[in-house]
Amino acid sequence: MASLKNIKIKIQSYRKTGTVTHAMEAVSAVKMRKTQERALAGRAYAAAALSVLEHLSRSLDTSHHPLMVRNLGFVNPNFGFTKPKFRTCLIIVTSDKGLAGSLNSSVIRRAEHEIAARNLGPEQTIMIAIGRRGAEHFANRGYDVRIRRENVSDDLSESDLRTITDELLSWHAVGEIDTCLVIYTNFISTFEQEALAHQVIPVTPEAVRETVAGIRPARGRYAPRSEAPVPPLAIYLVEPSVDQVLAELLPRLINIMVFHAFIESKASEHSARRVAMKSATDKAKDMVKSYTRHFNKARQAAITREVSEITSGMEAMR
Amino acid sequence: MQNYPPTFNLVIASVSKTHFDGPALAATVPGSEGELTILPHHAALVTTLKKGTIAVRVMGGERHTFPIDNGVLECSHNSAIVLL
Repeated sequence: MASLKNIKIKIQSYRKTGTVTHAMEAVSAVKMRKTQERALAGRAYAAAALSVLEHLSRSLDTSHHPLMVRNLGFVNPNFGFTKPKFRTCLIIVTSDKGLAGSLNSSVIRRAEHEIAARNLGPEQTIMIAIGRRGAEHFANRGYDVRIRRENVSDDLSESDLRTITDELLSWHAVGEIDTCLVIYTNFISTFEQEALAHQVIPVTPEAVRETVAGIRPARGRYAPRSEAPVPPLAIYLVEPSVDQVLAELLPRLINIMVFHAFIESKASEHSARRVAMKSATDKAKDMVKSYTRHFNKARQAAITREVSEITSGMEAMR
Repeated sequence: MQNYPPTFNLVIASVSKTHFDGPALAATVPGSEGELTILPHHAALVTTLKKGTIAVRVMGGERHTFPIDNGVLECSHNSAIVLL
């Protein structure tokens, strides 16, 4: 039987671990509430912005805008027609730290699934990694992690993300990439998160519809108000011109999609960590309990042994 | 004759916050091509907005103003969305 001291040390270490995970749980719970609120509030805007584009794309000929079609050929003004060799940009949104269950691994798995499905290699992809986990994973495997953001604050604003999306748009503008996907964790509930991939560029009505459908929660305050009938096509007046409106609207939309992915991931991260820490705390409590019982048994055994030694010694002396 | 509602549904939203969401009688916005006022049953319209102030008149004669830097207005089916 393990010595009493060893058991005592074990109990103490489990108790300490439990304290730490309990503290982390409490911290995550606060962050979770804040980020969930933000994610849910942001959904209304994202849905509105995307529905504007959806309306527009149904009634206007938007198919010629470069951000809405796949790059086919690209005429470089300096070099004439160049054979296109477009790459695909993947925006991977993960957390900086682990201890959040399967959150990051499912995002990475999803990303690798997309890479495999599109037959892409490290040469055909550009990565934008928000969060250290994703950045390290793909950098270690030889991918071109062009932009790397770590320690991003929870209350990053939409305009802060502009620097990233502007860069993204500039790669598109020079014909380096033709597709951009964002891979993130969609927040469904505190106990349920799902890794998703959405196409950001080209902005197609189908992709937009998919995103809108994905960001509307099934129930609750932000659930879609009773399935609205699809309004008949409106003939839009567009001021100043279709191109100018799209030039204003599309970068905004792309930024919103990325931003949306970011805040959803943050809400998911804190929820997942909270749940993971809760189960770690519970487990630690269980372990303390079972080792305490073990300890008590061992102590009782030691006492019994001592008593029997004493009594047998007394018997012998008689 | 069909009775049209005297208001339209107006949403003014930025990512962090919904500034206005509800029925409005009129909204004057700084369009990039000049100021315009949206009344109920405005024709379908999409326009970019420039820096200025949105003035909204609601039932009961109350007025709300929102300063903006830029934005996009979409208007169709008796509802208007302003994205900031």
